[in-house]
Amino acid sequence: MIEIRGIRKSFAGVEVLRGIDLSIGAGEIVALIGRSGCGKTTLLRCINFLEDYDAGEIKLDGELLWYRPPETGARRRYPEKALARQRQRMGIVFQQYNLFPHMTALENVCLGPRFGQKLSAEAAEVRARELLTRVGLAERLNSYPAQLSGGQQQRVAIARALAMKPQVLLLDEITSALDPELVAEVEDVIRALTQAGIAMVLVTHAMSFAREIAHRIAYLADGQIAEIGKPEEILDRPRDKGLREFLRRIR
Amino acid sequence: MGQYRAWLEAYGAAFLDAAAWTLGVAVASFVCALLWGAILFFLRLNGGAWGRRAVDAYVQLLRNTPVLLPIYLIYFGFPLVGLLWPASICGGLALVLQNGAYICEIFRGGYKAIDRVQHDAAKSLGLMPWTAFRKVTLPQLLVHSIPALGNQAVLLLKDTSLLSAITVVELTMQAKVLTERTGAAYAPFLVAAVFYLFMVWAIEFLTRLALRGVRWR
Amino acid sequence: MTPSDLWVLAQAAAISLLMALASIAFGTLLATLLTPLAFAPWRLLRAFYRLYIFVVRGTPVLLLALLVFYALASFWGRISPYTAGVVVLTFYLAALIAEVFRGGVLAIPRPLWDCCTSLGLPRLSILRRVVSPLVARYALPPYLNVCVMAVKASSVLSIISVWELTLASREIIERTLDVYRVLAVAALFYFIMCFAIDRLGRQLESRLAARGFAGERL
Repeated sequence: MIEIRGIRKSFAGVEVLRGIDLSIGAGEIVALIGRSGCGKTTLLRCINFLEDYDAGEIKLDGELLWYRPPETGARRRYPEKALARQRQRMGIVFQQYNLFPHMTALENVCLGPRFGQKLSAEAAEVRARELLTRVGLAERLNSYPAQLSGGQQQRVAIARALAMKPQVLLLDEITSALDPELVAEVEDVIRALTQAGIAMVLVTHAMSFAREIAHRIAYLADGQIAEIGKPEEILDRPRDKGLREFLRRIR
Repeated sequence: MGQYRAWLEAYGAAFLDAAAWTLGVAVASFVCALLWGAILFFLRLNGGAWGRRAVDAYVQLLRNTPVLLPIYLIYFGFPLVGLLWPASICGGLALVLQNGAYICEIFRGGYKAIDRVQHDAAKSLGLMPWTAFRKVTLPQLLVHSIPALGNQAVLLLKDTSLLSAITVVELTMQAKVLTERTGAAYAPFLVAAVFYLFMVWAIEFLTRLALRGVRWR
Repeated sequence: MTPSDLWVLAQAAAISLLMALASIAFGTLLATLLTPLAFAPWRLLRAFYRLYIFVVRGTPVLLLALLVFYALASFWGRISPYTAGVVVLTFYLAALIAEVFRGGVLAIPRPLWDCCTSLGLPRLSILRRVVSPLVARYALPPYLNVCVMAVKASSVLSIISVWELTLASREIIERTLDVYRVLAVAALFYFIMCFAIDRLGRQLESRLAARGFAGERL
């Protein structure tokens, strides 16, 4: 469903991504692991074009995203309107939740459907209520982010991403910023989502969680996918030397 | 005590009149300065490299020159090109041009205070840039700007006193006139000061009220 | 506008600068006496500080100048406008600078105070070796802003007949009606003075930053 080919990205002369190739099937869950600074977050941000990339292509259901199909030499971006529409097919949840502080939980979740997908206010609210109930926050609809715990805010962030009915969910270390006792509630929500058939790409350090829900785990090093495979293969029988070192360090 | 009473009866009305002028000019100028500052801010944000440079040059020029210069420029300069506007409008316009520059900088500060990743979140929801600005950036920018805007309002209020240099009868001018007319040494200035202090306190009170009215901080 | 007018404006600019610098110097001295009041253990002193700041910052400089000028004149007869001007600016700037210093003290992170006390350092030593250097560095950017404000405030003194750049400009304008050129020159002089202070400040800041500390630039 998602085809990522040859992604390259440099920051200030340093090449962070050196040719990433990855295919993700519908409903497949892929975990990205690796040392800090290896480019996992950058790759995630390239997928939904929060960062532009220097080379490569990303296709969703066979359709080329972000850049027009190359006719002449140089590649050109789609205009903002088209980019916005393309972004609506993916949802992203950030490490720092990033809820809009001036809106209630309900308003946060309604925003995308109402103004991005042009739903009516009532339809957007119905969808938002249902999603917030699904993540277990039915009683906190009218709370502001400042009144919610980290785990609750992150669950609102997940609901907000799901409100756009995305085909793929991008999760950037969504439990790293949480106090340990709040991690479980967020992992429960993701676990329940695995049944929903949405593809997911999650950047994570939580190896046990990755083992539990991921169909495949990819290890990033030096800007490339050094090794990729089923969780048992990657975590129990790693072949790449760097990966072995990495797993030893974090145990 | 009695002489103060007589004094008050004689000149109280004059002071109130002058205070009304001060307040009127201040409020009108502040509202226009908010608009002008907003326009400058937008120009800077969306005007590309040239827009940014132009606005920056304007702001730098007005931040590094005293406000009397624009006042004199308009008051003495406009008649030369045939514009015979009343002194209060000339002065008010100068205040707008000056304070607009500062308010543009205040909006910039409010914009920078918004966590960078808020824009990412809005983008990734597939919102169009203008919608994202209207719904996510603008409300936060305005709330972050409130304290500095309140401060600027105080500064503008005090700058209205400079209009006494171009014959506008506001509080400072009134006090000066009364001092010279009644030979009352410096008492009228004290009265004028009390008026100003009260207005400053009122502005600070309103600012605090505005901040408390924001539910989500 | 003739070359001799230009020379007159240059001299007037020098006077503006001198007045500003003198007032900054005296104002800073006064501020060093004021700021401790803000932290005094006696409520009366703290209230006095807050009242002083409120009154001086809430009243237009022009009004303060007129007040001081007429008040001093009623006590001591004829008084030079320059004296009155410097006195007013001194009291005005002292309030601004005192607030800048106070902000500097408050900006010192709480844990640092605890470190000092747990090291058992004598209070004067803490003041000299820890507080003052830190406050100086935190306060440098806003202090420079106040210096720029001093130069601009000197222009207000023109209204109480202090002969400086703004008054000189006005005189020439009223004589020759050469509004735009004269004001352009005056603006240029002010701009150079303010900008120079700003640049000097940034240089000082980067020197301090190189020594391991950088404050917040506006």
